[in-house]
Amino acid sequence: MDYDVLVIGSGIGGMESSIKLADMGYKVLLVEKEASVGGRMILLSKVFPTLDCASCISGPKMSSTINHPNITTKTYSEVLGVKRESNGAFRATVKEKSTFVDWAACTGCNECQTACTVAVPDEFNSDLVARRAAYIAFPQAVPKKAVITRAGTSPCIDTCPAGIKAHGYVSLIRSGKYEEAFQLVLDATPLVGTLGRACYAPCESECSRGALEGTIPIRRLKRFAADRHYAEIDGPGVERPAPNGKSVAIVGSGPAGLTAAWQLARLGYEVRIHEAEAQPGGFLRHALPAYRLPQEVVEQDIANVTALGVEIVTNSSVSDLEALKAEGYDAVLLATGTPRATSLDVPGEDADGVLTGLDFLRQVRVDEAPELVGKRVVVVGGGNVAMDTARTARRLGALEVRVAYRRGREEMPAHAAEIEDAEKEGVGFEYLVAPVSVVTDAAGAVTGLRCQRMQLGQADGSGRRRPEPISGSEFEIPCDAVISAIGMAPDPAPFENLTGVAKGSRIAVDGTTLQTEIPYLFAAGDVTSGATDITRAVGAGRRAAYMIDNWVNGRELGRFPALDDLLGVVDKAEVLARQKSHTRREPVTPDTRFSPAPVDFDELEPPLTEAEARAGAGGCLDCGVCSECQECVSACPADAIRFDKREVISDITVGAVVVSTGYKLFAADLKPEYGYGTYANVITGMQMDRLLAPTRPFNTVLRPGDGKVPERIAYVSCTGSRDKTTGNPLCSKVCCMYSVKQNQLIMGALPLADVTMHYMDIRAAGKRYNEFYEQAKDMGAEYIKGRVAKITEKDNGDLIVRYEDIENGGAIVEAEYDLVVLAVGIQPNREVEKLFTGERLGLDEYFYVAEPDDDLEPGRTDIPGVFVAGTAAGVKDIVDSILHAGAAVAQVAAHLEHAGHVEHAAVAAEVLA
Amino acid sequence: MSEDRRIGVYICHCGGNISDYVDVERVREAFKDDPEVVVAETTMFACADGTQHEMIRDIQEKKLDGLVVASCSPKLHQITFRGVAKRADLNPYAYTQVNVREQASWAHTDDREGATEKAIGLVRAGVAKTKLSTPLEPLVVKTLPRTMVVGGGVAGLRAAIGLADIGLAVTIVERAPVLGGWVGQLGAMFPHDTAGHDQIAHLVAQIADRPSITVLTDAELVSKSGSFGNYVTEVRIHGQEELVTTDVGTIVVATGFDSYEPEAGEFGYGIEGVLTLPDFMTLVDGSDGPLTYQGKRVKTIAYVYCVGNRQPAGGNEYCSKFCCSATVHASITIAARDAGVHQYHLHRDIRTYGKYELMYTESRERGSVYLRFPDDTPPTVERTADGHVAVTVVDALTGNAELTIPADLVVLVTGMVPRANTGLTDLLKLPVGGDGFYNEIHPKLRPVETVVSGVMIAGACQGPKTASESVASGLAAVTQSAGILMKGFAELDPLVATVHTEACTGCTACVATCPYDAISMIMCDGRDVATISAAVCKGCGGCAPVCPEDAIDLLGYTDAQMRASIEGLTKEPVS
Repeated sequence: MDYDVLVIGSGIGGMESSIKLADMGYKVLLVEKEASVGGRMILLSKVFPTLDCASCISGPKMSSTINHPNITTKTYSEVLGVKRESNGAFRATVKEKSTFVDWAACTGCNECQTACTVAVPDEFNSDLVARRAAYIAFPQAVPKKAVITRAGTSPCIDTCPAGIKAHGYVSLIRSGKYEEAFQLVLDATPLVGTLGRACYAPCESECSRGALEGTIPIRRLKRFAADRHYAEIDGPGVERPAPNGKSVAIVGSGPAGLTAAWQLARLGYEVRIHEAEAQPGGFLRHALPAYRLPQEVVEQDIANVTALGVEIVTNSSVSDLEALKAEGYDAVLLATGTPRATSLDVPGEDADGVLTGLDFLRQVRVDEAPELVGKRVVVVGGGNVAMDTARTARRLGALEVRVAYRRGREEMPAHAAEIEDAEKEGVGFEYLVAPVSVVTDAAGAVTGLRCQRMQLGQADGSGRRRPEPISGSEFEIPCDAVISAIGMAPDPAPFENLTGVAKGSRIAVDGTTLQTEIPYLFAAGDVTSGATDITRAVGAGRRAAYMIDNWVNGRELGRFPALDDLLGVVDKAEVLARQKSHTRREPVTPDTRFSPAPVDFDELEPPLTEAEARAGAGGCLDCGVCSECQECVSACPADAIRFDKREVISDITVGAVVVSTGYKLFAADLKPEYGYGTYANVITGMQMDRLLAPTRPFNTVLRPGDGKVPERIAYVSCTGSRDKTTGNPLCSKVCCMYSVKQNQLIMGALPLADVTMHYMDIRAAGKRYNEFYEQAKDMGAEYIKGRVAKITEKDNGDLIVRYEDIENGGAIVEAEYDLVVLAVGIQPNREVEKLFTGERLGLDEYFYVAEPDDDLEPGRTDIPGVFVAGTAAGVKDIVDSILHAGAAVAQVAAHLEHAGHVEHAAVAAEVLA
Repeated sequence: MSEDRRIGVYICHCGGNISDYVDVERVREAFKDDPEVVVAETTMFACADGTQHEMIRDIQEKKLDGLVVASCSPKLHQITFRGVAKRADLNPYAYTQVNVREQASWAHTDDREGATEKAIGLVRAGVAKTKLSTPLEPLVVKTLPRTMVVGGGVAGLRAAIGLADIGLAVTIVERAPVLGGWVGQLGAMFPHDTAGHDQIAHLVAQIADRPSITVLTDAELVSKSGSFGNYVTEVRIHGQEELVTTDVGTIVVATGFDSYEPEAGEFGYGIEGVLTLPDFMTLVDGSDGPLTYQGKRVKTIAYVYCVGNRQPAGGNEYCSKFCCSATVHASITIAARDAGVHQYHLHRDIRTYGKYELMYTESRERGSVYLRFPDDTPPTVERTADGHVAVTVVDALTGNAELTIPADLVVLVTGMVPRANTGLTDLLKLPVGGDGFYNEIHPKLRPVETVVSGVMIAGACQGPKTASESVASGLAAVTQSAGILMKGFAELDPLVATVHTEACTGCTACVATCPYDAISMIMCDGRDVATISAAVCKGCGGCAPVCPEDAIDLLGYTDAQMRASIEGLTKEPVS
């Protein structure tokens, strides 16, 4: 038996049960779903009728609970299921949810909370204010440890092939932390400015706001952060680390190679990149047109890498990787991309005026552009390179640019936005045509492209319908140049002679480790996969660096946490449902001016202004709650943040179970006639308790609508109680008394305020309760009999309460108040229904845990060995809960002594006779 | 102690309770020049777990040998911070709690300067006392695994069974000749229609099955001596010469209540047909069919609520809490037996709390009429010429019309009053509240404990309760007893008086003054000297000042410590 007793829930009933059982010598496991023990009592202002400060009297109880030598407390944990075994004992499955904080190291200093960039409604302040995603439940939390709320991975992060924390930098920009946003992206890749422009932004396709007004401008926010950074700081703004004595050679300086170099350099590696071209950057410099990605941006990004001491040797084509390794490197990374364009493979393609898109784009970037002014150009292909080619040709003055593609527009692999932009720039499209031959004149110059029309047949391996020629449909497109952009492939020259490494033109690697058959040789990016995009190359570069570092240090290669071990992605429907209301936010879209006849290579897309950036980022719905912005990691003095921490599920055996799962408060918006949730100045009793508590959010009592200190305050009793229309005909017992308590506290806090309670019967039933009620009347609180029928709101936020004035002749009265407090009642916590497997825990007809003989056997349920303490069995105030828990404990002890499951904690002491 | 002490002082804001009226920073600064105060900090909530951890860290890292927390009353947190000391391996009695909340901030909300000055003085006194503290060890006393339950009503009987079921022996002492108390006399009770006498019979049968329970009826506890965990009791049984002596570890008092007896003429009490609630219940329980009174079928009943309860100054201000539900329940029973009966409930609030609300609904559905009268205009009850009784009431629900209801029966819904029990109260030194019921230590969190350690209160002797609530509190008292007795020993505060034998002249002045009989004379080195039983001594300090030779010190509050405290408070040397 692991424990004598499992106590579920650490409100006042659970704490009392645990302490008393432990005092008797039983070993107790207390499981609490929140991060702190204490339940609701600790959140109250004062308690009736003593007006003791709730913190003062429940705080010590919380402390005694977790410090008791016979009590093991698991907070932020849930009991997933309890099953009675054949011997009468129980097996319980307990989930310790991940706090993402190492509690052994956490000192409760609050720094993470201060640094956190995500605000969520503070459930411990009844949603009156916000708390942070990184939070300590409340100031008197026991244990006082931080938790990071993570609902899962945000879709934007989850979808990013580069593993960039998009949500993180969005929330940093929202908080005005622009440099931190830049650094967060930089943590993944040096290509911040590049990705801010040239990335196809799959994050934006996944953005949950997309289902509302439109996506957050995630990519442009990254550009904003990069532009801000480069405007102020030369280089990455990162210290060059101390060398670790190891070195790595990288072949290729495209996005994969640069990213890997950056990551390795930050770990202290000496890194040398060999680049075949005269300038580093690979396709970033040689394929992407400058109007999409200006050259200086690429240079700024590359300067991040060289700032850390990475050497880039240009004009250095590597053909012998073994020889490279033999120069003394600890590992070699091949990241040479797909420099080879696929040939058209039609007659005449060697003609003057026929070239590949890659060659064409490269020539333009190295100032060797062909003369196209006034010429007619046909671009063959339907990918992004084809679009770049076509649009670049327009900028070189081509009279006419037509894209010939063998499938239809729907099937084009180019991104839709690229196609649209090309159309805006006057590019023409010929769909369902395939080249047959290049037509030349006598001098061998191109005069046209002979094509045939196609139709779509069955789907092929790629899932797209295969184009099939229509016989007899040949025709000619007259033109002066043909540029083919129909595909790209790696150059296998460096590895084709290495045994077991080549896979066609690609290099074969393990998909997770990126290691080849030759252990020191790793490969990343398009050379392993064929042409993809920048983000995939960046992701691969990161992965390769991580794996190389593991390999060089003799560690197991394992998985790459930044991409392979993310939390599950959040459900967007849940994200949208979580937000009670959405402020409509106009999407921030770029005001890009397209010219039907573009003439220069100036960057097209305008930058976000700071105001646009803040507004755009402000629309983020914080899907995963925590944005993974890493601010807490930097802020934590104890180095206690652990994003890789995961929940732990374990089975334990116990002799008995105490269910002390408490109650739910009535959801006041289920009484629409009272306007809760619609009228800002209609609040619940629990909210008023928070306004009055020592740790009150505003340090005074004010109304939420406009912060005005209320002078006329009304209480509406029996909200959600004694009310069949809400499904609860029962009396909640505590609401009269907490209202009377608050009436007194308000008169103390706001001596000028008038307090009126609209009630049915004042149920001051308990020791000194009636006296307490009389005291409130003596202090000046007014009590009006009659249930409130309706509340309406005036333009100024004041409220009109309509009721029948029973005691004064029965007239209908409309009274005006500044603030209305709904004395919400108690509802059963139906989560208990899921606790037991194998047999059902009996409930009464109102869904409280049933006590079959509540007259003589309080605390006993219909399952032998399962007991109930506190409000889980029905409405109770604090003292009732204490007594009920005391009774349940006596029942537990009797059960354990009878059942013989006891493992008394050792007691030893020197005893005075 | 000649060596310099290393003391930590923590001044609590109490979330504003203190810092709103006391400048806690100034209090902290008052110790910046005291070389023996190694740590002086202010904190939002000293009692918060986080702060406790900080204190433990300070104690360990800065090697503190004394701890002072300036916060609230020691009643609230002395145990908390002694626990902190203990967890940090500091002797718990090197801790001093200074009450700057009740004694400074709350007492002087109109005078921040004065409150701050006073707080500084109080903390200085606490620090001075702590500097002279010596390590003390708790007194460990063996406890006897037997509980005496005084009162054989439903609470006491259920408690006895609960105790027996966890292996503790029980002696029940019941004043009446039979067990059962009030519940034993009742028929169908709310809310389940279970008969009270059946419940009692069930409990008595269970008791008979448990040999570890001894039942003494017609019996009265007449003396109690000994100390916590080891009481010697004597019970007088009616008609028996010899007292029954029983050694017990704890005592549970479950002596119940009395029913309010109206004054003659109070709401017509004394008029034929005007009954109290218990009399009415007896009448209802006495028959099955339609209700008859004096041989006549009862067609109209008027219930007047809150008789003897919720009365203005002079009467009982409290609410007896069970009477609404009991009456509402009875009205259902009567309506079920005779649908033609008219029942009028004259009330001020119907307090059918919780699930009892369902009875209120059912009662109305079965035809009961509820009339609410104003607090200041109670109904009047008169005999009418035709031999009926008539109740006149101002009914708020019909526009404050004055209605007169001729009734066959008027039921005065009488509540509970504290049982006359002076002998027991004095014997056990039980504290009694303003309402006459026994007082618990804390009405919220410690409802069955009393200030007399080892003596618990359960059931309606603590305050009005329903039968099931009494059972719950009886079982809670079981739990409280078991926490003391199941371990077989208990730890007591060592803050007790001690005699410096060499200075004692054997004058016996202290023996005479001790209210707990803790001091006796022994022969030591050929002369009579006083000696104090640590287990019996309550540390009240009464003996120390009467000693003409200053030969008695109270550990934890030695003369030297008190002098130093006063000097600290006044900043003047005390001779």
